[in-house]
Formats: sequence, C-alpha cells, structure tokens
Amino acid sequence: MRVLLRTLSPLLGLALAAVGVLFVVEVVAAWVRPDATSGLVVPWQAWQAALGDLTWADGPVRVVSICVGVLGLLLLLVALLARRHDVALTSPTPAMTVATTPRVLARIVGRHVRESDDVAAATVSASARKVVVRAEGWPESDGGLGGLRSDVRARTTELLETLPLARTPRLAVTTRGRKDPR
Amino acid sequence: MTVLETPPKGVVRRSRKAVARSAFGDRSRLALLGLLLLAAGAGAALLGWGVFGGGRATRPLLDPMIVDTLRSQPLLWRWVAIAAGVVVFVIGVVWAVRSLRPERRPDLLLESASDTTLLVTGSAAAEAVADRAAELPGVSRARGRMVGKDDDPALRLTVWLTDEADVVAVCRALDEEIVTEAREALGVAHLPVAVRLELDSVTHGPRVA
Repeated sequence: MRVLLRTLSPLLGLALAAVGVLFVVEVVAAWVRPDATSGLVVPWQAWQAALGDLTWADGPVRVVSICVGVLGLLLLLVALLARRHDVALTSPTPAMTVATTPRVLARIVGRHVRESDDVAAATVSASARKVVVRAEGWPESDGGLGGLRSDVRARTTELLETLPLARTPRLAVTTRGRKDPR
Repeated sequence: MTVLETPPKGVVRRSRKAVARSAFGDRSRLALLGLLLLAAGAGAALLGWGVFGGGRATRPLLDPMIVDTLRSQPLLWRWVAIAAGVVVFVIGVVWAVRSLRPERRPDLLLESASDTTLLVTGSAAAEAVADRAAELPGVSRARGRMVGKDDDPALRLTVWLTDEADVVAVCRALDEEIVTEAREALGVAHLPVAVRLELDSVTHGPRVA
C-alpha cells in the first residue's frame, strides 16, 4: 500500500496541476476569442451543451456519481492503510529507537519453528500484535496433532519472550497432518 | 560507574521520527482528495435519487439559473475562474514536488564562527558509524544515513543481522560502543538514533562438498 501511495501521490499532483493549467488556458482563450465555436485544447463547448441537456436524475449521471464516490473511497482507503507496520523493539536508551519489519519477525519465528524434528513445514505471518503459525507435521499414533501444536506453541512462546519486543504479540497456532511417511 | 543522563524530550521524538521517511503529507493530501471525491459523488447520487427534493433531481446539470448568474458579471467570474485555476495548479505542483523530493541528508555543523566553519557532511558521518556497526558480532552489514532538519539531525542505521545474532546484545553494543563513540567524536551531547533491524538473506552452502 505504501508503494501505491508513493506512486499515486506525484501522479495525482501532476494531474491536478494539468487541470489547473487547462482551466486557465481555456478561460483566457474564451476571453480573447469570444466568437470561437470550440475550445483551444478541450472541447468544453460541446460538453457545455451536453451538460445543459442532462438532468441529475438521468442514468449516466447517477453511474458517474457512484463511480466518483467509489474512486474517492478507494483513495481514502489507500491513504488510511498506507501506514507503517513496523514492529517496535525495546531500546537500551530513550534516545535510540529500534524497529524491524513484520517480515523479519516472521522469518525469525519460522526458522525457529522449523528447527523442530516434528515440524515438516511451517508458514508464519506476523504483525506487531499477532503472530500466526501454520505448522505441518505427522500425526501421532492416535491420529491427533495435539503434541505438535503444544510443541510449536511452546517453542514460539519461548522465542517471543527472548526477543526484545516492545509488545508481546498474541500467538495463534494451527496444525495440519501429513499423510506421507516420515 | 556510568551515570545515565536522561535525554531531552526532543531527542526521543527525533529518534522515533527517524525510523523511516514520513508519508504524513502524502497520506493527508490523498485522504483529503478522497474525501472530496466521495462527498461529491455521494452528494450527486443522492441529488439524482431525489433525496434533496424531486424538483432538484430533474433540473439540468448546468443549471440555467447558475449560467445566468455567471453571465451577469462576466469580468468578475473570469477573474475568479483564472484565480481558481492558478490555485489548483499551485496545489498540484506543490503536491508533486513534495512527493518526488528526496529525503534531506543534513550535514553536522560542529563549529561556526565569523571566519571558520567546521562541518562534517552527513554521508561521511553516517558511513563512518555504519562501517563501525558492521564490525559488531552478529552484524553482516550496515547502512547509515543522516536524516531530519539541518539544526536537529538524527541518524538512521539499518543493520542486517546474521542468523546467529543476539538482537539484545547487538542493540546494546550499538548504543554503548558505536553511538557513544560517534557522539564523542563529533562532540555532540545527544545524537538521536533510529535502528532498523533486517535479517541478512539466506546463504546456502555449496551443494557439492
């Protein structure tokens, strides 16, 4: 979302500047050429005639209104969601701020979880508030995966307590059994 | 025995701000434009559905009443239109320039007198600190950058850790060795620092021994 914001911002700025220039050019052109039947760059006289014929209740006007509203909502969502998602770490002094990305936290947790012999594969998604571990392993003799789940949970909790995180994230562990032999 | 001195509030705030380039301006402008479009679109749609009265919904988009008002004082409205166009143009240019402008890299002014000025360039100071940080155990590489304003710069240090790194020990060494050393060398009482921790890319050993 941050990349989208960085891309959209200068483009919208330039588009706004272009609209301002075109507006001034057309107003001045209409002023100095009062008998002209068409605009200098933009055919605004044809648009003026069309807008004079359309009413607010017409179908195309409603469709365009809804499209403009949806576009506004999307821009608003991009602006709201483009915040940083850093994971804050405790720092040795107040004059130092330490942070990392959710990707790094997920990699550290994933590596630690996969070190266990009982885990065949694992995927981890992390944020400053929550860490979700999806582990795959082999079912026990009774067909259950309770042992794998508690093992992964214990290992991850131990790691999260070791890391100097400013706020300990909630942990969610899900497990899936593998059918292939160990 | 080392006595820890509490840094001023400004130093703490600057160290927090230095973590990454702020996108507050871009986000605010985009949110404002989004709100305007949303309000205009929703207003026009409600008008079309007759929420503000059935009579208003059946009036043309370019209302003759408004056209007559504009034609009654053409000179005034021409100047108003030109002024509005110039304002939109200036807002757009300022927006684009601020979005595309690279982040500031302030230099460190150590001494300033009437005839002499002692200045350390931002890149030199940041690279020196980053080179020292890269020598710490558990750190594979580091990159430094001075950020902020000319009169209150801060250091942003991006540190890539190895698999075996002890995060707590690296942070402590950065503060006690690297940043303290930099402060003493530069002769500044407080240097706000923001550290970004990254993991170095996974390196695989040779497939054939």
